Amino acid sequence: MTTLPESGFLLLSGLLLGVGVFGLLTRRNFILVLIALEIAMNATILNFVYFAAFAPHAAGLSGQAIAVVLIGFAATEVAVGLAIVLGLNRLKGTIDVAQGNLLKE
Amino acid sequence: MNLGELAFLALAAVAVATALAALLVRELVHTILWISVFFVDLSAIYFLLAAPFLGVLQLGVYAGAVTVLLLFGIMVTRKRIFSREAAAGLGPVPLALAAVLVIFLVSAVGQLPAGTTPVTGYDPSALSAALFDTYGPYLLLLGLVMLGGVAGAIYLVREGRE
Repeated sequence: MTTLPESGFLLLSGLLLGVGVFGLLTRRNFILVLIALEIAMNATILNFVYFAAFAPHAAGLSGQAIAVVLIGFAATEVAVGLAIVLGLNRLKGTIDVAQGNLLKE
Repeated sequence: MNLGELAFLALAAVAVATALAALLVRELVHTILWISVFFVDLSAIYFLLAAPFLGVLQLGVYAGAVTVLLLFGIMVTRKRIFSREAAAGLGPVPLALAAVLVIFLVSAVGQLPAGTTPVTGYDPSALSAALFDTYGPYLLLLGLVMLGGVAGAIYLVREGRE
């Protein structure tokens, strides 16, 4: 049985979420926005896996089960996001998020 | 400081560094390289947390499928594959917002009890029971969402939509 630093995982998760939000707010390229979203999503999943190791046995497996479902949701989100990227590229010839303003009119 | 703590500190440093590098480098293909290192690093953290099934899933889904999908997205939307991004301006407002979020989360960490966490052993049969029995409806919902996502993606990229 190994021991691990307790608050370190939550610190790491918070830092990764901060990096993800920062990328989400500053990047203009749609693919980079998707990558920032994935970093933030991974920070969330890390939290679930961490608390799964922290909790008693039966409850801990709930955290791992939810993490499996979340990984699936994140993969679907990337697939739909890339379909939107391709559609935007065909329509506008660019994948700059500031150019996607069709719903403004 | 034991071996687990040392491994965690190294993996955590690599995770934050590669996540930042992925968002700050100027060539999109280099971004993909950094983000694949990030995904493999998180997979190692899952192994450290006694969740080998999730570690393998992370390797397959993220380091495998998502990375290739993003690379494919870059390939079809760019004229030249090694094209540079415009100079990345670090706006003070997004930086401040992210910093406030991190400070808020880190201050909440201080409220938790100190000490080290015992990592329990791994039991694959109990995990499968939890996944397919207790959380079976969620898994079913995930399947439906994936089906809807794939159908929506095909609808978005099909030819002759005008």
